[in-house]
Amino acid sequence: MAWDPILWIVFSIMNITLLGLNFYQFLGFSDLEADYLNPYELSSRVNSVIVPEYLLQGAFCILFLVTGHWFMFLLSLPPAYYNLTRYLSQQHRIDVTEVFRVLNAEKKTRIIKLGVYIVFFGLVITRTVCAGTFSAMLSFLFPNNEELDFRTSVLEF
Amino acid sequence: MGTENPNRPNFPARPAVTPFAAQQSATPFLSSGSVVGSEAPPFRPVSTASSQFSTPPFSAGSEGPAFRPPPTSRSNELVRPPPPSASYGPPSSGFQHFPSPQMPSTGQLPPPRTSFTGQPVVPMQTRPPPGHVSLPSQPQPPSVPMGSPPQSIKTGQPNMNIPLSADQHFLPSRPNAQASSPPMGPSYATPRGTFQSAFPGYANMQPNSVAQAPTMQPSSFPLQQGNYGPPAPSTPFLSQQRGYTPGPPMSTPSGLYTGTQMQQHGIAPPLANSQGLAEDFSSLSLGSVPGSFDAGVDVAALPRPLGGDVEPKTFAEMYPMNCSSRFLRLTTSGIPNSQSLASRWHLPVGAVVCPLAETPAGEEVPVVNFATTGIIRCRRCRTYVNPYVTFTDHGRKWRCNICSLLNDVPSDYFAHLDASGIRVDMDQRPELTKGSVEFIAPAEYMVRPPMPPLYFFLIDVSASAVQSGMLEVMSQTIKSCLDDLPGYPRTQIGFITYDSTIHFYNMKSSLMQPQMMVVSDLDDIFIPLPDDLLVNLSESRSVVEAFLDSLPSMFQNNMNVESAFGPALKAAFMVMSQLGGKLLIFQNTLPSFGVGRLRLRGDDIRVYGTDKEHILRLPEDPFYKQMAADFTKHQIAVNVYAFSDKYTDIASLGSLAKYTGGQVYYYPNFQSSIHKDKLRHELARDLTRETAWEAVMRIRCGKGVRFTTYHGNFMLRSTDLIALPAVDCDKAYAAQLSLEETLLTTQTVYFQVALLYTSSSGERRIRVHTAAAPVVADLGEMYRLADTGAIISLFSRLAIEKTSSSKLEDARNAVQLRIVKALREYRNLYAVQHRLTGRMIYPESLKYLPLYGLALNKSTPLRGGYADAQLDERCAAAYTMMALPVKKLLKLLYPNLVRVDDSLVKTEEFDISKRLPLTIGSLDTRGLYIFDDGFRFVVWFGRAISPDIAQNLLGEDFALDYSKVSLSQRDNEMSRKVMKILNKYRESDPSYFQLCHLVRQGEQPREGFFLLTNLVEDQVGGSSGYADWMLQLFRQIQQNA
Repeated sequence: MAWDPILWIVFSIMNITLLGLNFYQFLGFSDLEADYLNPYELSSRVNSVIVPEYLLQGAFCILFLVTGHWFMFLLSLPPAYYNLTRYLSQQHRIDVTEVFRVLNAEKKTRIIKLGVYIVFFGLVITRTVCAGTFSAMLSFLFPNNEELDFRTSVLEF
Repeated sequence: MGTENPNRPNFPARPAVTPFAAQQSATPFLSSGSVVGSEAPPFRPVSTASSQFSTPPFSAGSEGPAFRPPPTSRSNELVRPPPPSASYGPPSSGFQHFPSPQMPSTGQLPPPRTSFTGQPVVPMQTRPPPGHVSLPSQPQPPSVPMGSPPQSIKTGQPNMNIPLSADQHFLPSRPNAQASSPPMGPSYATPRGTFQSAFPGYANMQPNSVAQAPTMQPSSFPLQQGNYGPPAPSTPFLSQQRGYTPGPPMSTPSGLYTGTQMQQHGIAPPLANSQGLAEDFSSLSLGSVPGSFDAGVDVAALPRPLGGDVEPKTFAEMYPMNCSSRFLRLTTSGIPNSQSLASRWHLPVGAVVCPLAETPAGEEVPVVNFATTGIIRCRRCRTYVNPYVTFTDHGRKWRCNICSLLNDVPSDYFAHLDASGIRVDMDQRPELTKGSVEFIAPAEYMVRPPMPPLYFFLIDVSASAVQSGMLEVMSQTIKSCLDDLPGYPRTQIGFITYDSTIHFYNMKSSLMQPQMMVVSDLDDIFIPLPDDLLVNLSESRSVVEAFLDSLPSMFQNNMNVESAFGPALKAAFMVMSQLGGKLLIFQNTLPSFGVGRLRLRGDDIRVYGTDKEHILRLPEDPFYKQMAADFTKHQIAVNVYAFSDKYTDIASLGSLAKYTGGQVYYYPNFQSSIHKDKLRHELARDLTRETAWEAVMRIRCGKGVRFTTYHGNFMLRSTDLIALPAVDCDKAYAAQLSLEETLLTTQTVYFQVALLYTSSSGERRIRVHTAAAPVVADLGEMYRLADTGAIISLFSRLAIEKTSSSKLEDARNAVQLRIVKALREYRNLYAVQHRLTGRMIYPESLKYLPLYGLALNKSTPLRGGYADAQLDERCAAAYTMMALPVKKLLKLLYPNLVRVDDSLVKTEEFDISKRLPLTIGSLDTRGLYIFDDGFRFVVWFGRAISPDIAQNLLGEDFALDYSKVSLSQRDNEMSRKVMKILNKYRESDPSYFQLCHLVRQGEQPREGFFLLTNLVEDQVGGSSGYADWMLQLFRQIQQNA
């Protein structure tokens, strides 16, 4: 039973990383719009994190499946599917030459994704807490982890 | 039918308008008033105030006495006689609309005047200071005059009578007066705002009136002037005045309504019609040309742009200080005042900018050097000083016309204001009088020293390039242009050739012969001798010439058919990246080696009509887009010359040009014997035309509006900054506007195009074009001020962009749908009142829109499907059309077709303007026709043409296969004449060379390919003919109407 809380902590770490990556991209687009970034920098920054984000999200999804969390798996399936189709149609990378044409759409998808990940975050955290209550040891470790996570993600921003 | 009507309608309309003209005169005041508030008197109108005043008013004054007696009856009479009379009758109702604001003032004032009685007095009063003082109250008087002026004009009777009658009538029946009078009011107190708005529209209608306006300055005068009209000379003032108007904050909304209502909606209110109706009718007869399609279409009556592109004149007349329309054209000069209005106008709201358009001699853009003061710009919005800024505070401050911030005038730029508020040094300041200026930019505008003009050539020397003769023609042409390359003695030049290896050439000036270095490691490109590959032309001239002389022979026996295009491109990038410049690529085959190699993905018929169709028109390998982005970043512009007879994937190659502000030249199946002249001319033009280097362009516009999307060949560096490594006169860019605020409160929106570039002479310069456009509150007004050319230009760019994300069919449908929506909206405005069932109505300004829309759908990038155009041709045409200026685009869409045999036989001079409709019905079997779309000529020989003509023109070849015959000058009168005509056409548009194709009637498939598919009015393949198209549009317009 001990591995369950650990698993949920892994989930929450992954989730926070996803949130961070997405927020990072979103910030990039906002900066581009405000002219703090030029399209060249933006595309190199965003493109460097897109594939990791897709991989992480895929792992996130598959891990739910492997560990038998059907409900969470089904929930995480749509974003995974979306990522997969983007990737397969080679549309996942930002095209430097046309950034401004897709700027608004890209921002919107980032916002939606952020929303989705936040929902996941809520779910994962509640599950983590629930799992934590079964293990006194972990229940007092948990807040520490949470803090740590927060710090890393904040730093990243 | 349509064509005929327009003129007639105008007449009625005009009378009505005239009054407005008077109003316009008033407007100047308004503007002043609005802007400064109290300043009104000082206005810029440079013209001497004294002259202005005296003439109109006095004349009126003298007339004055006469006026009184005739009063009412006359006025009425006068009004009626003109065609619009009917309209006038109702006018009274019109007043209802205006009611509250104007009425009160009028009520007060009117009496005074009457009491003053001496009509002469009236004029007097108006002129003198009283006008200003009384401003608030006066509104009425102005109105009175207004009414009268129109009358006078119409009747042609002495002005004197009119004014009197007007007064009397008006007082009692204000409504009438107001309608006509509004102009007056505005000049004075608050009403100004309203009037102004109204005016712009009117102004368009009558140019004449404008002239009058300038005289107006004294607020009171306007009315009279309007009537008297004569003082025309001062036209410039009008523009100025308007420009100044921006301020009128107050009444704008109401004013707008009045203007609009009067014209269109006037109808709705029953009585109000007086004016509204008049306007309406005029527009009916004028603008909306009824064509009844029920009983078959009268094809001959459909409107055709046989006169070529018509630039909207009214716009320039309203704002004489605007830049010329060759630089900037708005799709409608009436900017919608609200988002809802903008969304009802279904056509794009935007602009087409051609910042370096060629100017005819005498109209060159003046160059201004602000060496001592630095360039004067607004602190907040960075707008450049322009004719529409206003100086206040004795000349110590200036107000930005775009963001209305008050800026300090630098002490070196200070000049006193004269009594009317105009700078005393106005005449010596082109930046304050001209819409287009060039500033010499100081060092703050440079990130590095200005670059020298740099031409780099990337030449494919594989077997096919040699065999087609391309190599020879190209090297000869480059050699002949060496003297004319811009920027001597700083010009730099360099060459790389490639087949399956890359060849560099050391051109160091100390060498006698160029040294060739071959690099065959394509995976890891390195540059041998990085310093001597790019050399100064004047220093290494002899080496360069030796190279060009030997180039064709060097590769004469080259049997290599591979093409390492991608690696060569990278090598060129490495050589050029320090300086930037222009890269000319001569590509003969599909890139087959190294990075960026392309597949023969070909043109697959099965793909057409599916979701994957558009992928064919996109670059296949991301390498190309990435390279294009890198090129732009390093200020390199790419021009692609493609020559292959087989598929070369122009879609991929062209993207290099698209994102670097370049151009694609495509010579399918190049053979030097045929295409020599074309390549020579176009390459020479490319090399020698004036070019602006390392440029960026930005369009600024007033508060509340924003340019949101840009269309053309360039890359955006930030949301509104267009990066253009090289620009020249043959490139135009389009942008669409959107409204940021739901309701615009200004009367005028200003646009400023600024192009910062390095000239070939090594000077950093800023070219600034400024234009003002009125804000309108009425849809009909927007339609009236529309510019078909600019709309079509935007449409074509949107449609072409759409083809790269969806099917051709979808792109065509989108064009059609927008035209339908626009015309339906227009119909909804008018059809009900006038029972136009069974007729198609459209505004005069858009009468060619359906035809151009049809032509656009039949243009090479959009036409048909798989078999209707080669994929490469489609893509090349698309890249070309994305950059074409308006005039050339319209000519390409609706080419010239002229008959020449008559003038050959007779001695009379050939009339170049006698264009024929583009339908097979125009072709007579006994005739000789020239078809000119700006890119090629097709000379069509009728089957029954007199052998005499054929023999004279073609000599002994006249019976041969025409595909092998070329038209050359022969020693006889006829041949000389034809060549003269062709040359005349060529000279009229030097940006491309029109190669002459001879076609004999009935000679398939050449006739079909060259001519028949380009007769846009005919039904070709699956596309509809002009009449069908109109019927189709008409039906769709009526659905859900």
